[in-house]
Amino acid sequence: MMELNLSRVDYVQVGVTSQKCMKLLHGSGKTQKIVIADHDGVLQCFGMKKGEPTHIFKTSPSQKINRLELGGPVGGTRDRIFIGVGPEVRGYSKKGKNFLSFDTNMSEPIQSMYVEGADLFCCGNFIYNHYRDCKDANYFLSGDQISDVICLPVNKTTDIIPVLACQDRVLRVIQESELMYEVEVPGPPVVLQLYGNDGGEEGNEILFGTSDGRIGLVESKLGGKLAPSHRWELTNDKRNGGVISLDNFDITLDGVKDLIVGRDDGLVEIYSYDEVEEPIHRFSHTCSESVTSVQGGSVGSTGYDEIVCATYAGWVLGLTTEPLTKGMGPTEVHIATTTTNKLHSLKEELDGLQQKVATEREKYQETAQSTSAISAVPYFAVNDKFVLNREDASYTLSLELQMPIDNVLLQSDVPIDLLDVEKNSAVVSYSACNPEEGNFLLATYRCQANTTRLELKIRSIEGQYGTLQAYITPRIQPKMCQVKQYQIKPLSLHQRTHVFDNSRPHNSLTLTGQFSLAEMHAWIVYCLPEIPERTPPGDNVVFHFVSTFLDTQLECCYKKGEAIFRSDNISTISILKDVLSKEATKKKIRLDISYEINDDSIPYTLNLLHPKLEHHLLLAKKVQLIDALKELQVHENNLDFMSPEYRQILDDANDLQLEYKKQPCHLERLYGMITDLYIDKFKFKGQNVKTRVPSLLEVLDNYDLQSLVQFFEASA
Amino acid sequence: MLVPIFNLKLNHKVNPHMVTVGRYDGIHSSLTCATTAGKVFIHNPHSKKFSQEGPVSFASDSDVNLLSINQQVAALGAGRLDVNSDKDVLAVGTQTNLMVYDVNNNSDIFYRETPDGSNSITIGRLGSYDQPLVIIGGNCSLQGYDMEGLDSFWTVTGDNVCSLALLDFNNDGQNELIVGSEDYDIRVFKEDEIIAELTETDTITCLCEMQDTKFGYALANGTVGVYDRNARYWRIKSKNQPMTIHGFDLDSDGVLELITGWSNGKVDARSDRTGEVIFKDNFTCAVAGIVQSDYRHDGTEQLICVSTEGEVRGYNPATKDMAGNLMDTNFEQDTVREVSQRIQNLKMELKNYDQNTKAGSVAAAAKISGGGSFSAERPFPPGEFDKARMGVIPAATQLQTTLTVYPGDPETSPHIELFIGTTNETAVRVVMIFAEGIFEGESHVVHPQQSKVSTIMKIPIIPPKDVTVDLHIKALIGYKTSSQFHVFELTRQLPKFSMYQLLPPQAEVQEPGGHCTFQINDRISRVVLWINQSFLLQEDLACEGQQLSIAFLSLRGSGPLFIKIEQSGQVMIRTDDMDLAAEIIQSLSNFLNMEDLQVIADFPEDMEKLRQILVKVDEFHSVRQKLTAEMADHSNLIRNMVVRAEDARIMGDMKNMRKGYMELFNLNRDLINGYKIRCSNHQELLNCLKQVNQVIQKAGKLRVGKYKTQVISACRVAIKNNNVNSLFKIIKSGAS
Repeated sequence: MMELNLSRVDYVQVGVTSQKCMKLLHGSGKTQKIVIADHDGVLQCFGMKKGEPTHIFKTSPSQKINRLELGGPVGGTRDRIFIGVGPEVRGYSKKGKNFLSFDTNMSEPIQSMYVEGADLFCCGNFIYNHYRDCKDANYFLSGDQISDVICLPVNKTTDIIPVLACQDRVLRVIQESELMYEVEVPGPPVVLQLYGNDGGEEGNEILFGTSDGRIGLVESKLGGKLAPSHRWELTNDKRNGGVISLDNFDITLDGVKDLIVGRDDGLVEIYSYDEVEEPIHRFSHTCSESVTSVQGGSVGSTGYDEIVCATYAGWVLGLTTEPLTKGMGPTEVHIATTTTNKLHSLKEELDGLQQKVATEREKYQETAQSTSAISAVPYFAVNDKFVLNREDASYTLSLELQMPIDNVLLQSDVPIDLLDVEKNSAVVSYSACNPEEGNFLLATYRCQANTTRLELKIRSIEGQYGTLQAYITPRIQPKMCQVKQYQIKPLSLHQRTHVFDNSRPHNSLTLTGQFSLAEMHAWIVYCLPEIPERTPPGDNVVFHFVSTFLDTQLECCYKKGEAIFRSDNISTISILKDVLSKEATKKKIRLDISYEINDDSIPYTLNLLHPKLEHHLLLAKKVQLIDALKELQVHENNLDFMSPEYRQILDDANDLQLEYKKQPCHLERLYGMITDLYIDKFKFKGQNVKTRVPSLLEVLDNYDLQSLVQFFEASA
Repeated sequence: MLVPIFNLKLNHKVNPHMVTVGRYDGIHSSLTCATTAGKVFIHNPHSKKFSQEGPVSFASDSDVNLLSINQQVAALGAGRLDVNSDKDVLAVGTQTNLMVYDVNNNSDIFYRETPDGSNSITIGRLGSYDQPLVIIGGNCSLQGYDMEGLDSFWTVTGDNVCSLALLDFNNDGQNELIVGSEDYDIRVFKEDEIIAELTETDTITCLCEMQDTKFGYALANGTVGVYDRNARYWRIKSKNQPMTIHGFDLDSDGVLELITGWSNGKVDARSDRTGEVIFKDNFTCAVAGIVQSDYRHDGTEQLICVSTEGEVRGYNPATKDMAGNLMDTNFEQDTVREVSQRIQNLKMELKNYDQNTKAGSVAAAAKISGGGSFSAERPFPPGEFDKARMGVIPAATQLQTTLTVYPGDPETSPHIELFIGTTNETAVRVVMIFAEGIFEGESHVVHPQQSKVSTIMKIPIIPPKDVTVDLHIKALIGYKTSSQFHVFELTRQLPKFSMYQLLPPQAEVQEPGGHCTFQINDRISRVVLWINQSFLLQEDLACEGQQLSIAFLSLRGSGPLFIKIEQSGQVMIRTDDMDLAAEIIQSLSNFLNMEDLQVIADFPEDMEKLRQILVKVDEFHSVRQKLTAEMADHSNLIRNMVVRAEDARIMGDMKNMRKGYMELFNLNRDLINGYKIRCSNHQELLNCLKQVNQVIQKAGKLRVGKYKTQVISACRVAIKNNNVNSLFKIIKSGAS
């Protein structure tokens, strides 16, 4: 297979860009034009001529632009530019003529948008609106936040079938104003793209990318009530960033459009397809900033294909097939004249700016003399993400700014662990802290020069809840700092799901009292992650969750005046009971709490844990042996005397160590959960068994499922 | 792109720091590394087998020969010791001894007991010694052995030695010894005289020679850098630990680069002038060592990197046509990107000022029309600016900081108090102090609860030792409800002796028993100047008359400190803390530019302690001898028993066999117990010896210049002759 070799070329820098805000336009010339819209409200269209951008048009700054889409006649060239500005949709011709200004009358800004022929689809956070020829056509209220919207190509499907990507891990397929069906996907989807940019042969294949870094292809079955099918899914084993942009373009020139992926940790990847049409990885490039849009085309020079990317901080760059390192001489670097000119003009601009900044700085300093003047530091945008990873039950916090970060202070009023992240190069320093002052963690991250993005990994403990605060100081004058808050919820390791196994033995907790549905919903939002803050419509609400660490499940079922929680894990019920009664007391609402404990649930949960526990115990044991075995290997020439088991360990040593390193303290966490389970079981019986915990740990050290179950069953 | 010219997998683990290369046959280079289980392996790709007759057993496995040392290896070194031979010798240091070994002939050159251990080894010429020396750095001690195994060089240093390097520090044509130790100091020894002391911020784990008077260093906290004599060129800090450093000219520009191997497997080459990375590569696990040698025997020296898993990569220096560009970087693109980034940052700064001006005029207008309903906290009328969530404070806000000595009360221990306060009603939300060497990490954060945020903040600081430290303070200023803050950045210096509280003249404090006296020729006003600089005083001490008497109390509980100066220029320092006295003398003599200073000292407490330690050392020695004898007895017994038990087995006498093995088991247990006792005994002995070395070092530090060297060498002689009384006399008077 031909090796892909792409080199990076930077084109321009614009303001901060949102997801899907850059597109390539087919112009009359041989190369394509770039259209890009940013948060400063500037929409610009430019082409590249000899390394210099030449603008076709550029609008003046206005409100933040959230989305840019191209439209055109059905099945024809898309050359009309549509942007979402606040609640308004504006249309521009490729020459920059503003031919449309349409106020959608939505109560919130447009977050995502799609254009198909005369149909316009706009979504706010929860609302979906469909306009035909700028007239209201359909309306739908989603149960959870909408991240993206797309419509299947009308020329291939007869109906208009829009698809919404929703935060609660489903794709919602809409028919007119009704939900046709839901497709569950493995992570919160954030971006949708038609397969091959045209939805495949039948126009019903959709690519999705999730915030936990997975990519998949689903085929929606049309006509009849057939379940949609998942064609393939790429998991995120390497723990790369979330997928925020997708495109299809044949950069490998093999006649099949390749998949191009942009992630929020700056990674751009190219996958081509094998014989069975499954993607295989071909190329990666790291940009160090979130890649908000990717598109394949030809911009820089005629005849060379490239991937054009836009980043959060507004860089527009190309990964081109054109070889760039050609001007290298033996003793010095021959800089091409175009670049010299470019550098020259840039340096001139820099000098001018430096002088201007110096006078402004002076002016700013002078205001300090005045007693009435104020010093105001403008709010700077922080692109942050705080998500739970299913694989290792930890949270990833990523922070990204438009300017370089100087330092970040993390403060937490609840015990959490910070884990090392390979790709973050900041120097961390833990400061001594006093829990009595509400500080369980104080850590500073001092960033290396030119770091605009910082990623951190955090491990929480269920039942311990509070707030994590990040004080972010960018490297810019005047020096300022912004604080961001993240909630660590009581059941922080739970994740939304849409399946619930009713056959498991369940413990239940029932709350009755004078509370409204909204109040109950607010409490549940307080306890569990991944639920929209808005109270869902209807009188009866049901949510399902799964514990990412233990795979136990939880059902929340509530209405006005009554809430029922069911879980096979007694600790989950215990945490909910504690938190909810505390919250109700705070609000002075009387709650009647009753619970039903199913004794079968304990052995069930232990059985559920058994494979994990056994695996990790074995792993720990094997890893412990590696060093000793290796020493023996050094001493002896021949390893035939060793049992096959030991030889196997030696052979797999590297893999074992790698797996062990991947999940630090996993065993300790499992032990902690089992201890909690033990304490909680007897807490419901009104017994305090804390004194028996050491003997429990003893049982765990010589683990055997049977004896553990017996230990749990033996009454204290 | 520079790629490795060879790549080997040795299939042996390699202990970090213990990698060296030597030409044991005078021609071919062999990579030598310490591995687990007390073994050293020699990679000998040129397939000439070493002599199999000799004291060390070789286990041969293709190109790798294993040497069994049978003790945990602590340090390795290779180099030429015999000026008349072209063969390198291998020096292996363990916790208790040093073995210098001729690999080619498989014979010991010499073997020495080293009770101070050997943490680091280097081989080369030092000062005016006419023979190269094997220099080992142990617990507070430095020893140099020549070809015959005579320890012709001996001196002490402040703490356990971690790293050594030989280079011409002052460009006098002779090598000086650079020593990095656990007390964060890099000391430069011209033979046994210290000619420079450089204080760093953590344990110095590696040192390496660079060109001319330059050398590279690495610290345990992730810092690497380059010094030229006393001046630091640059340093960088990473979250990973540097495992090894080496100077090598990788880009063929005639100047050595600093090559660093990191704990995460990264290898990078940095320019010696700027620290800029010119090349990097990655291993899958930590780097254990980096050396250079003509490994391919083709006349060029390669840079050889070895990982802890035994992976070896060799790099040839870049060829001319790479033009110093080892990473395939595109200079044009990089420069364009860098300049654009700077332009962007400046534009953003301008935007900030612009927004500030706009906000200022809106706020001013609101103030006029609003009739005082707007405060600084809510400066804007409802509307666009109010929604913009700006961080607003009065422009005249200033930050006040003071450092004071706080003597402590029943609830809080004594400390230095850093006071931070604003000049108006704005609050101090968070204070971050970045300073190295005095906190657990590099920073200290004070983050009060939301409800307890106020306009002032008092931060206790307790520096663990007497050092001058710059405190880089970042204070976040705003209002209680703000989410956007102003950051005030300032730097305050903590003087060296800040943990000492000035006592009022009338205070009645018992004078401490320890004291030292010396003569200075400078005016008293200079000394007063020094006191004002080095101590944390509320107001500067005025210079009155020709006499001075001043008293301090240590906040660390080591009692009072008196400094008295007579009209004649005689200075007396009274304190029970010998270390403190030494530090004061060093600091003062440095300030007054004194080259030599003889001091009469008497520290009865320390001397008494020393006497007890010396008695203990004797005890430990005799216990050790006894234990060794016992062990030998047991080993003999075991041999007999095994024979007897095995005989019984062959004869089918199961009863006696079982009995025999039971006895053997018991004996074995005794032996293990004996070993444990021996271990702890050895540990105690090490501690005591370390303390003795430290006392000698302090005694030296009480003097300056040639007197310092004199004291240390005199003490050495006294210890060698086991003359305790003379030792005390030397410490007191500074001469034998």
